[in-house]
Amino acid sequence: MEEKKVNSFLNRLKENAQKQSNYGGETENTDAQMKLKDCPNCGAGRAKQDGVTHCAYCGFEFLSVKLTDGMYIKKEDNSL
Amino acid sequence: MFGLFNKSKQSEEVVPEWYAELQESQERWFSFLEKLEAKMEEFATAAIPELKQLLEEDDDLYKRTFHKVYSGVNGQLNNIREKARDTYEEKIISVYYHYNSKISVLSKHHNLVSDFRNNCSDRHNAFENKYDYWRKQIDKTKERDLEIEYQKILSEFETIKDKFKCTQCGGNLTIDKIFLIETYVSCPFCQTQNTFTPSTIGRNLQNIARELAEQRTAHLKEEFENEVDKERDLYHEHHTLSLSTIHESNKSVLNEIQIKMEDLEKQRQFAIQNAPKLRQIYLRAMYDEWNKITPDLKEHNEKMYLNQLKY
Repeated sequence: MEEKKVNSFLNRLKENAQKQSNYGGETENTDAQMKLKDCPNCGAGRAKQDGVTHCAYCGFEFLSVKLTDGMYIKKEDNSL
Repeated sequence: MFGLFNKSKQSEEVVPEWYAELQESQERWFSFLEKLEAKMEEFATAAIPELKQLLEEDDDLYKRTFHKVYSGVNGQLNNIREKARDTYEEKIISVYYHYNSKISVLSKHHNLVSDFRNNCSDRHNAFENKYDYWRKQIDKTKERDLEIEYQKILSEFETIKDKFKCTQCGGNLTIDKIFLIETYVSCPFCQTQNTFTPSTIGRNLQNIARELAEQRTAHLKEEFENEVDKERDLYHEHHTLSLSTIHESNKSVLNEIQIKMEDLEKQRQFAIQNAPKLRQIYLRAMYDEWNKITPDLKEHNEKMYLNQLKY
């Protein structure tokens, strides 16, 4: 009798845990990807030496912040 | 005068009436805790295999279903503990205070009252120890071998390392390390900035890195903790010896004990000095491992290391 009680409690606990939706939604497993963003204004590509904040051809603003030195992005990545 | 010292001896020797009530309370308390302990054991032994299985089967990235059930189980265990604590307050402590205020400390029977409380509180402590034991066993179900997960991440990295081509010119791109966030990878041929998005598995490396480093250096942590415990053990040994000298008059025996005590004290002082050193060795090794796993977080980790050394 007692054992039954314990098991039914555990089963209910498990059921409820599985039913409950997670805060922040379900996680999605995505694979690694490689993408490219061309300038949406003139269609030009973005080259390393031109920086990543503005389009080298039409001046379109990709990022409105001034970049500082970080782990991967450096000051030099600001467009002139 | 006042007949203060003429109390009849008989009344002192007869066990007072109220004692039966104390005894009954104590017996009920003991059997109540026994029942709770049995309940706790039954519940924990049923829950532990379930939790282990759930952790294996839970395909959520953060094992959230497991954690929900885990907190549910802990909550239930805690309910049992609280029940014991409330009953202790209600049925033991209040009875104790009631009789403690009624029976004078000078009375010969007062020790019956304090014994009652001591017995009940010792039993309660034994119950608490059992609770701690089961709580730890349940905590252990959270442990999983992170090396397996780490190997998965490494082999995933091996397969994607040279997989990508520049989206602009088709030239081969090499990902030179495990990135934890999206990053620009510039093509060595046309200089185009490609955006690399790491996989969910790859990103998860930062979540398991510390725990993995801790798993790898667990033996050093144990060494440090043992040194801390050793200090307490030596202190107790020293204390027992010093108590044994109280009734000892033989000088040669006293001398021997003295020498032993000095030796113990020396070892104790060494343990006190040594423990922080072992802690530092452990922390350094753990952070080194951590930095090896996620080199990009080194700068941040080192700040944490320096902070942790202060405490």
